[in-house]
Amino acid sequence: MIFEVQNGCFAYPHGRKVLNNISFSVGKGEMLAILGPNGAGKTTMLRCMMGFLKWNAGKSMLDGEDIANMTQRQLFSKVAYVPQAKNAALSSNVKDMVLLGRSSHYGIFGKPGSKDRLIVDKTLQSLGLSAMANRACNELSGGELQMVLIARALVSEPQVIILDEPESNLDFKNQLIVLKTLHALTEQGITCIFNTHYPVHALRHADKALLLDKTGNVIFGPVHDVITEENMQRAFGVETVIGHIETPHNEYADVLAINTISEETNHMMDERKESEGSHMTQNSNEEISRLATLSIIVEDRENAEKINAMLHECGKYIIGRMGMPYPQKGVSIICVVIDAPETVISTLSGKLGQLKGVSMKTTYSKK
Amino acid sequence: MERKKFKLDVSSTRTRRILFYLTLIVLPILVGVICLCIGRFTTTPSETLSALGRILTQDIAPGDTLAKIIRDMRLPRIALAILVGGGLSVAGLAFQSLFANPMASPDTLGVAAGASFGAVLALLFDANTLVTQFSALLMGFVAVGLTLTIGKGKGADRSLTAMILGGMVISSLFSALISLVKLVADTDAKLPAITYWLMGSLNDATWYTVMFALPFILTGIVILYAIRWRLNILPMSEDEILASGSNVNVLRMTTAFASTMITAACVSTCGQVGWVGLLIPHICRMAFGSDNLILVPASVSFGAVFMILVDTAARSLSPSEIPVSVLTAIIGAPVFIALLRKTGGWSL
Repeated sequence: MIFEVQNGCFAYPHGRKVLNNISFSVGKGEMLAILGPNGAGKTTMLRCMMGFLKWNAGKSMLDGEDIANMTQRQLFSKVAYVPQAKNAALSSNVKDMVLLGRSSHYGIFGKPGSKDRLIVDKTLQSLGLSAMANRACNELSGGELQMVLIARALVSEPQVIILDEPESNLDFKNQLIVLKTLHALTEQGITCIFNTHYPVHALRHADKALLLDKTGNVIFGPVHDVITEENMQRAFGVETVIGHIETPHNEYADVLAINTISEETNHMMDERKESEGSHMTQNSNEEISRLATLSIIVEDRENAEKINAMLHECGKYIIGRMGMPYPQKGVSIICVVIDAPETVISTLSGKLGQLKGVSMKTTYSKK
Repeated sequence: MERKKFKLDVSSTRTRRILFYLTLIVLPILVGVICLCIGRFTTTPSETLSALGRILTQDIAPGDTLAKIIRDMRLPRIALAILVGGGLSVAGLAFQSLFANPMASPDTLGVAAGASFGAVLALLFDANTLVTQFSALLMGFVAVGLTLTIGKGKGADRSLTAMILGGMVISSLFSALISLVKLVADTDAKLPAITYWLMGSLNDATWYTVMFALPFILTGIVILYAIRWRLNILPMSEDEILASGSNVNVLRMTTAFASTMITAACVSTCGQVGWVGLLIPHICRMAFGSDNLILVPASVSFGAVFMILVDTAARSLSPSEIPVSVLTAIIGAPVFIALLRKTGGWSL
């Protein structure tokens, strides 16, 4: 299912324009991260996307159909929304709370049946939440409540799931649990769209990113094109370094904020760049290509297929490739030489690094 | 910590579910029959049952005082108690969901104050019972209409906080108007009647009163029963209600309309009876959990039982009738405090 926004504009009555001409599209099983400083309108945008607020101009579309022409029930049996897990005052138990997710399949007089309760049980089980099924929602921790709200969204069997800062207010481990859950959903073909304050979460988990700044401007594209040092500085007013954390097995993308930059400085730099003709943009495709080798060790046979598919997608950049099974240790070794724009290489290596049982490193040529 | 609560779900057997609903239906009837025996004219249950049989077969001898007392006085009173108790409880429950506020009561939108003013105004002009009741019903709806107009923000969206504040304003406005009516009312002939009416009592219950209240209260209960699963979604944020595929305004307005209709009909037949709409839903929550699928029928049933008991006490504890609202408060407040202490706090 393709979720699309075309030329969306929104302003609060008598207020300044918050969102200006926003267009993006997310395909089946893709993950889109929406980033932006506080007050840039991330939540407003989510609300506009689902019709909670009406776009002043432009539209949201689901597989080419304008959602404004769909009934509430039609729309929300395909799209599910996960609000921020504020501490719920409701003492209803987890099962009843999750069951409410089925309500988009019923009219106002509808009641859930045993079939719906079975779906709830299955969903709780698949998310590992069965143990808390009978606990009261107001006794859960923030992380548990967030997972319950995700479960509630999933029982409606959506094709698109939209989450408002799902990993905010959660600890280290719970953030990872939520992000891994989203990742698993995309593998089932569900489209995930989420707001986040963490560029690094976008960089590691999302396929695409959308960056809002306070002037209502927007950049959208593959995540490695959008989250660049230059764009982060421009949108957040923070001097940023994007690099890698290296372990003996893998390397992981990381984003570090180094220094805040005063608005004037940021503005001056913008103006200078504007006079030079460059602007906050995604890296253009004419960017100089670089030469790199990817060395991969695969422990898991099943992943070999996935890796092949990923490499196939970048086929036109690959100039050499070697594969070698090493049955004594039960692993396969793959070596790829690639000549491509840097963002293509980092996207590929980011994705490969996500796979379980895969050790992977990238070496770039000096130039 | 997992609290043990009565749950009806796929794991509970069909028999258990039927038994639960059967209990909810039988309990008010049983309590009603027992309370039929209580009163200044004391009878034994077997006498009462045989009198009931005579009433049903319409075989009443001219000298059959017991059957007449039961038919014309106790039975309509108990029927009205069932209606009012069940109605106010479920209306309170619905308002608590609607405003996501455990302190909400059937009077939150100013219905009771408005309806009381309507009745008091009619009493001032010596109107008969029918006019008084219609006037009360009408002013109840006028009050809610005013509240909703005040609470209406720009465009179509209504803010719940604005609605609660609007209800407070309208309530106090109508209370002031009631005071004004009392001020101008004849102190000998009308003021006592007005004051007594305001205290709330089922003393005037006749079959005619029951028939007047029945359609409104029953319709309200049926509506709330039909949308009872949606009442679980109502206390959530507007976005969450929308994302459940519900129309927020239709859902909220349906709930408010049904609850208002019930409350206005109750106030117009027996004055302001406080506490029931607050006490019973919370007792049911403590017993059965927060699922409105169970809470709605349970509130109706337990509200009815509570009202029969309190009204029976009101008419039989002392030689002169005690206003029922006085008793609900005297019984309600301590029971409620005890329950709160035991379970540790407010929540929906």
